[in-house]
Amino acid sequence: MKAFFVGRHRRNGELVLILLGGLVTTGAYVLATAGRLSAIPANAAPFLGVVLGLFVAAHFVTRFLAPEADGLLLPLAGLLNGLGYVFIARLDVDLASQDSPSTLAAQQAVWTFLGVGLYSLTLLVVRRSRDLEQYRYILLFAGLGLLVLPLMPVFGQTINGSRIWVRFGPVNFQPGEFAKVALAIFFASYLVDKRELFLAGTWKLGPFRLPEPKHVAPVLLAWGVSLLVMISQKDLGTSLLFFMLFLIMLWVATERLAYLLSGLVLFMGGAYVAWTQFGHVQVRVDGWLNPWEDPRGGGYQVVEAQFGLASGGITGTGPGRGYPHRVPASSTDFIFSTVGEELGLLGATAVLIAFVLMIGSGLRAALGARRPFSKLLATGLTGLLGVQAFIIIAGVIRVLPLTGVTLPFMSYGGSSLLANYAILALIMRISDEQTDRPVDAPTAGRRRRPVTV
Amino acid sequence: MNRQIRQLGIAMLLLFSLLFVRLNWVQVYTADELTANPLNTRRVVRDFGQQRGNIVTADGVVIAESVEVEGRFDRERRYVDGPLYSHVTGYFSFEFGATGVERTYNDELSGHSATQRFESFFDFFGDGDISADVSLTLDSQMQQAAANALGERRGSVVALDPRTGAVLAFYSWPTFDPNMISNTDLDAARAAKTALDGAPGEPLLTSAHRQVFPPGSTFKVITAISGLENGVVTATSPLFPEVVSYDLPLTNVSLQNFGGQVCGGDLAQSMARSCNTTFAQLGAEYLGPAPMTATAERFGFNDTPPFDIPLTAQSRFPNDYGVQLGVSDQTPPAPIVEGSSLLAQASIGQFDVRATPLQMALVAAGIANGGNIMEPHVVDRVIDNDGGEVLARVEAEVWRQAAVPGVAATTANLMVGVVESGTATSLARSGLTVGAKTGTAEVNAGADSQDTHAWVIAFAGPANATPELAIAVIVEAVPGGGQQTGGGTAAPLVAAMIDTHFNN
Repeated sequence: MKAFFVGRHRRNGELVLILLGGLVTTGAYVLATAGRLSAIPANAAPFLGVVLGLFVAAHFVTRFLAPEADGLLLPLAGLLNGLGYVFIARLDVDLASQDSPSTLAAQQAVWTFLGVGLYSLTLLVVRRSRDLEQYRYILLFAGLGLLVLPLMPVFGQTINGSRIWVRFGPVNFQPGEFAKVALAIFFASYLVDKRELFLAGTWKLGPFRLPEPKHVAPVLLAWGVSLLVMISQKDLGTSLLFFMLFLIMLWVATERLAYLLSGLVLFMGGAYVAWTQFGHVQVRVDGWLNPWEDPRGGGYQVVEAQFGLASGGITGTGPGRGYPHRVPASSTDFIFSTVGEELGLLGATAVLIAFVLMIGSGLRAALGARRPFSKLLATGLTGLLGVQAFIIIAGVIRVLPLTGVTLPFMSYGGSSLLANYAILALIMRISDEQTDRPVDAPTAGRRRRPVTV
Repeated sequence: MNRQIRQLGIAMLLLFSLLFVRLNWVQVYTADELTANPLNTRRVVRDFGQQRGNIVTADGVVIAESVEVEGRFDRERRYVDGPLYSHVTGYFSFEFGATGVERTYNDELSGHSATQRFESFFDFFGDGDISADVSLTLDSQMQQAAANALGERRGSVVALDPRTGAVLAFYSWPTFDPNMISNTDLDAARAAKTALDGAPGEPLLTSAHRQVFPPGSTFKVITAISGLENGVVTATSPLFPEVVSYDLPLTNVSLQNFGGQVCGGDLAQSMARSCNTTFAQLGAEYLGPAPMTATAERFGFNDTPPFDIPLTAQSRFPNDYGVQLGVSDQTPPAPIVEGSSLLAQASIGQFDVRATPLQMALVAAGIANGGNIMEPHVVDRVIDNDGGEVLARVEAEVWRQAAVPGVAATTANLMVGVVESGTATSLARSGLTVGAKTGTAEVNAGADSQDTHAWVIAFAGPANATPELAIAVIVEAVPGGGQQTGGGTAAPLVAAMIDTHFNN
């Protein structure tokens, strides 16, 4: 029982936040139902019970398995997941037609249960983050295999123009979501291992001093193959996400800004070539720069999202009172415009803040980690969450061209939810390792032991 | 590595701040512009697809309701017996907006009036049933009787309660089916609107209150009132000459009595027989421009009645007859002006005098109600959709104190005389006091055309009580339709209104 009491300071805070998050979620659920039917939903109390039960269970798992871990991440994930579910359930009503009821909410509920289960399982199995290092090549090939899987003739499914789906019995899932976790672990492990060699720069190419090709090769290979695969699958969002993940990890591992900058230059060049060569890229860029030129065609989704956000204004139309289903993909990629329409600028900003806090907590875990591998892995995983959230929100509100990825924890989607809970568990594991597990919790005001790398 | 991680954190914070700034731009700064964008149909689709309250007649017949439909909009407006009530309900169209009661009571029907908004906590947050029903003063049997009596002839029937201004029947032909314009099949709605805009008789331009016609002899009641209230005549004196025609002042043109008959005598006899000569002379030689204009304006001419169906037209009485040239040789003398001949014609409801059938009904109502004209209205009350609570009730309000009670009573008696022994004897009903004035108005005075509008204004009620019913009927002239007289053509419609009202 000793583990139960250490770190109780953080855990008690976490529990309070989870309770608050559950109340906010249930409140939104009640309002969304009232907004549509002018009545309090009959199952409000059971709903609150299930939401609280699920995340309180996750809390107790954390209390036993990662007692010293950050206390903010789990409540934030629960809040985003809960709000996302409320809006998916709310959209179900509008998306349903007479002959086919929409069951996204029921499925999302199952995925949420499985997600929390996977979170617990990950914490249980991965007792030390460094254990992951030894599986780096297995994870590399597993990751690449998962990426290639949708291209296989029997399993692969093309949905909405992207061949990123695999049919597995009755469920479709996106193996790319899991591949990104596997590859992040591989990158972290490999880059930490070889970073001395990366920094050595013994190979001269003109004025540049570059690392020996044979050391860089596996990384470039993994990255190149994954990008090629995803481009062939026409999945722009995930390609961009992988590219950014790779650049961030390379930059943090080598501490060389040159890698980041030259990578970004390379990216610009690649993006330009892609824009000139690929029709589906041109559609996205045109829809971003000039959505009004073809507001009923290429610009439709973005234009409707702007209309939805504008109709929300500062305080929103109120849950259940807007027309978010007019935006295609309103429960997946465009769930942020749903939130913006019905909860307004205030609600959308709250979601932005939740993501900023999540990124902050993840990076704090990275800063606190003592082993370079853990540090880099926490950075990479946090980067994945943050960049993914940024890419899709930026696409929805026309800061960047639209590239379809899910909004972590909020969007409808089983693979995405499961992968994000796995990421969350790994960050929690690393966060838990930063202290030496003192017998008693640190008292308030006592400085934490300085951390060196 | 920590330095880079911190830099990464700062970079992410900046990126999310960028999102926040952009979000403000979209949701606040350009929100109005985006909402007003013609491509943005969110607001209209919402309003159009919302639950909308029923419109029901006074006797509880639902004449407009909102039904759920499949497709782009959640609901569609349906009108039961559309053509019968379209001039009252109006239509509720996605592209062409709303008319009639649909327009006046849009906030209440859609649930957006302030009272409804704050009805209850959950109604405020929800878009459940916050709409309200609108209950009319219109009586379905009166309306049906008016439609049956008019048939497919251009014209209007307006019947109201002179004591309250509550409109009991309000029917015009040609009419239209509002279902065709309220259709959620927008192409069909557009085609229907285009066809109606070009249709003969302008069905969308309700003739009962949006079109004006020369009131002809029905206007003589106002000339009589002006004479009575200015003390220049009584019901029995003076005696106007029994003549065939009246020589218009300052011209060598003469004004004939109807059918070239000899006509004259005191005011009561002249009213019963509708002598043009008497009223032309009364207006031009006993009263003059100022008193005539004042009386006409007190009855609502040159003004728009406060009516709860929008776009009511103004009735006109010309008020400029030029400079004074002298005085008449009557007692007391009246000013003779450049336009005295025109004033003579105006005094019998010709020249440029124009009135809506609604206005003429209000004239009859004012006379019946002791000189007070009540504000006309077709809506009686607004009722909450769940619970049946009355949210608003239209109170009877005086619009005009048009005549003093004594003058009104005398004039009412003159009109009773018209029914007892004049041009409207077909309207006599045992046990009822019925007063009326017929009119046969030339479409273009002086032209060769014989086409005339047939008018009757009337009131009816139990003996020795304030009348319960005031009516105006016009059967419009149609080119080549020939002479249709008030007593012959229009009186049967008035009879139908009286019989329907008092036999039920």
